[in-house]
Amino acid sequence: MTVVDEGTTDQLSTQPERPTMPNRGGLLVGLRALWRYFTSMRTALLLLALLAVAAIPGTVLPQRGLDPVKVNDYIASHPQLGPFFDKLYLFDVFAAPWFVLIFALLFVSIVGCVVPRIRLHAKALRRRPPNAPRNLSKLRAATEWTTTESPAAVAERVRRHLRDARWRADIRAESDGAVTVAAEKGYLRETGNLVFHIALLLLLLGIAVGTAFGYKGTVLKQQRETFANGREAYDVFQPSRWFYSDSELSPFSFRLDRFSASYDASNGEPTDFHAVVAYQASPTAPSKPYDIRVNHPLNTGDAKVFLVGHGYSMDLRITNKYGVVVSDGDVPFLPDTAQFLSHGVLKVPHLNVDGKDRPHPGQLGLTGFFFPTAAVTPSGQLTSSFPGLNNPVLQLAAFKGDLGFSTGIPQSVYSLDVSKLKEIDQTTLKPGQSWKLSDGSTVKFVGIHQWATFQVAHQPGKTTVLVAAILIIAGLLGSLRVRRRRFWIRAVPVTGSGGTQSTVIQAAGLARTDVGGFVDELDELTKQLGRPTERD
Amino acid sequence: MTPNLHLAHISDVLLTWAVFVYAFAMFGYAAEFAATRRLQAKPPVDGEVGVGESKRAKRVGVAAVALSVIGWGFHLSSVITRAAAVHRVPWGNMYEFSVMVTLVAVTIYLVLLVGRESVRFLGAFLMAPVVLYLGLAGTVLYAAPGPLVPALNSYWIKIHVVAAITATGAFMVSGVVTVLYLLKERWERGQPPLRGLLLRRLRSQPQVSLGPGTAAVAELSAKRSGLMNSLPSSERLDRLAYRVITFAFPVWTFAIIAGAIWAEQAWSRYWGWDPKETWSFITWLGYAAYLHARATAGWRGRRAAMLSLIAFGALMVDYYVVNTVITGLHSYAGVS
Repeated sequence: MTVVDEGTTDQLSTQPERPTMPNRGGLLVGLRALWRYFTSMRTALLLLALLAVAAIPGTVLPQRGLDPVKVNDYIASHPQLGPFFDKLYLFDVFAAPWFVLIFALLFVSIVGCVVPRIRLHAKALRRRPPNAPRNLSKLRAATEWTTTESPAAVAERVRRHLRDARWRADIRAESDGAVTVAAEKGYLRETGNLVFHIALLLLLLGIAVGTAFGYKGTVLKQQRETFANGREAYDVFQPSRWFYSDSELSPFSFRLDRFSASYDASNGEPTDFHAVVAYQASPTAPSKPYDIRVNHPLNTGDAKVFLVGHGYSMDLRITNKYGVVVSDGDVPFLPDTAQFLSHGVLKVPHLNVDGKDRPHPGQLGLTGFFFPTAAVTPSGQLTSSFPGLNNPVLQLAAFKGDLGFSTGIPQSVYSLDVSKLKEIDQTTLKPGQSWKLSDGSTVKFVGIHQWATFQVAHQPGKTTVLVAAILIIAGLLGSLRVRRRRFWIRAVPVTGSGGTQSTVIQAAGLARTDVGGFVDELDELTKQLGRPTERD
Repeated sequence: MTPNLHLAHISDVLLTWAVFVYAFAMFGYAAEFAATRRLQAKPPVDGEVGVGESKRAKRVGVAAVALSVIGWGFHLSSVITRAAAVHRVPWGNMYEFSVMVTLVAVTIYLVLLVGRESVRFLGAFLMAPVVLYLGLAGTVLYAAPGPLVPALNSYWIKIHVVAAITATGAFMVSGVVTVLYLLKERWERGQPPLRGLLLRRLRSQPQVSLGPGTAAVAELSAKRSGLMNSLPSSERLDRLAYRVITFAFPVWTFAIIAGAIWAEQAWSRYWGWDPKETWSFITWLGYAAYLHARATAGWRGRRAAMLSLIAFGALMVDYYVVNTVITGLHSYAGVS
């Protein structure tokens, strides 16, 4: 038995059937040939493979978009290869011109495939199912049986049955008195296929809008501090390419009321983070509480606020030798290890004021290490053995001299340039303890608080992306799981030897796709249409 | 809540039993396979002997299926006890993920067995990677029972990870079928299943010329690989692989999309080219290429099958290499 396969563009193909074009010669033919080649399945295949290969270096080499520090380290440690790779955009693979080019070509190719197919499919949807082939017995699972009904009655009955089973069915009378019913089902396959590819285009559009008009920024907040959305309020602000005006930042604000973290006592793995905030969607809106957690961002205005990091801050009070408090408050320490061994710096540019607005020269710098659960390593070094506050110890070193503010060069609040400083004292403190420096000033370790870092992100086009994603799945299911199939019967009037009239029904089908089970479906269908089974 | 170590131990023991029973099932399938092959190689002297042998072989095969079902029961119980021991979904690290993936693969195989198509031949070839996977999971990837890291603590773990597990299990089945397809297709073209084999034989028999001697080579290979004889036709294998992939591919797509939705909630962006995301995308592209290739003249058949295997390779990189070697946001392997 041979299976007639009508057309091979039956699978997931978006390839249009080759139209025969009138030969006009010259450039137009060349262009058309180029376009045809470009929109061919072979090219789509090539572009898919190319895109996959092009993405690989982005996972092997460090990427600026993910970890710029690692990229710099890589370039520094590979002085030959590093800059060369950099020229090839290998540290920005996913924004590289060649990567974007492949993407763009793939999508142009999809457009080129989809547009003509939409036309063809629309035509197919309006067309009557094609008439039964001359010789039905050559097709798969062909059967025939005899009935006493007239051909017309058979046809009408079959048509009704098929329509009820949601086939598209159509009756045709043939010249020799035979009547055929032609039926087709599974148009959803091509519909799904087209929906899938159009949704891919929509997805890209949504992503493009998001990268073109969004913004994101990060900010570190101490407890009781308030953040009001505005470019200046961020520690790091990353507008997208066409984000042009600060007025587009929605005017929300939030205050960090409390941050807490809990850890698995056995291994120090974090089990929970909470940042309790009070937020206002706009300056006039009422203040509402919200619990920002991992996987539970705050949704306000047009942005989402995520909890992305946390750490300890040291509440330090510095009193100078005249008894004047010159610095008082939380100093954020940045964690260096999973056990939250943290480091931090406090700079006091005007140490020796005596409260009568008479500044004296004298600058103080403190660097410190904080151990939430202090422990001693076998080699005798102080370390932290647990991220929670089981045995908090602060190790401080005090420096005097020039902090370097006069140079005007902006400096990090987390590092101290000791080149013009002299270390005067060192100590370890527990919360509540005070430390008298040799110059007469005092450092009081008042207590420990926690800070949290938040990422604020506004990404327009998200709804478009989500809708596109849903359509992608729906389209895929249609194009992969629905079978396009045709079914025909031909009712042929037969005059028996005694002049008795009967009708021979020939039935057969054709599956245009090879998901199994079609033969069984045909078997079942003809049974329902009155084909006598062996047992009858 | 602290994990119930007693239950966790029971789960480990159950898994060990599952591996052993699967291994026995594998030998059963292999024995049936070999017996069928002998039957086909030997011209039937009289009908009765042939029938008797095939009946015995069939009995071994049915026993292997029974063992598979028993192994599957142990496997499933191991997952359930693990879940009860750790008070959460049992797919929070690489060990648990591997156990789930193989459970899905065996489940798909059993479902296919119940269905119309006769897929028992697949048993021997599927059990081998399943046993290997589970062995690897129980030794190298084993993670002590514990709670989820906060980043995973979301209901999306039930959606995104289940989809990823289901698709991976199904791709594993289609991968095995595809390898068999390639072997069978090669054999049908009159080539021995492995190139090396051919070359060695040709060198030792210089009288067989490489050029016009193809008939001789074909004859030679036909004699050698009665094993290939008992596999279903390449057309059937191809169809079976395609069927499984048309199930797995939308599920994989869904896994990626669900992951993106989760990422948007957890990491503030739905797509960030994290290594895991990128390799999932590469895998997706690979299978998309396979589906297109299957409908492209000149790519249908062998070349499409190769693409599907390359895509499966990308999936394995996504799973093993990304989790253990490349650092990214998806570092939940629990392997240190």
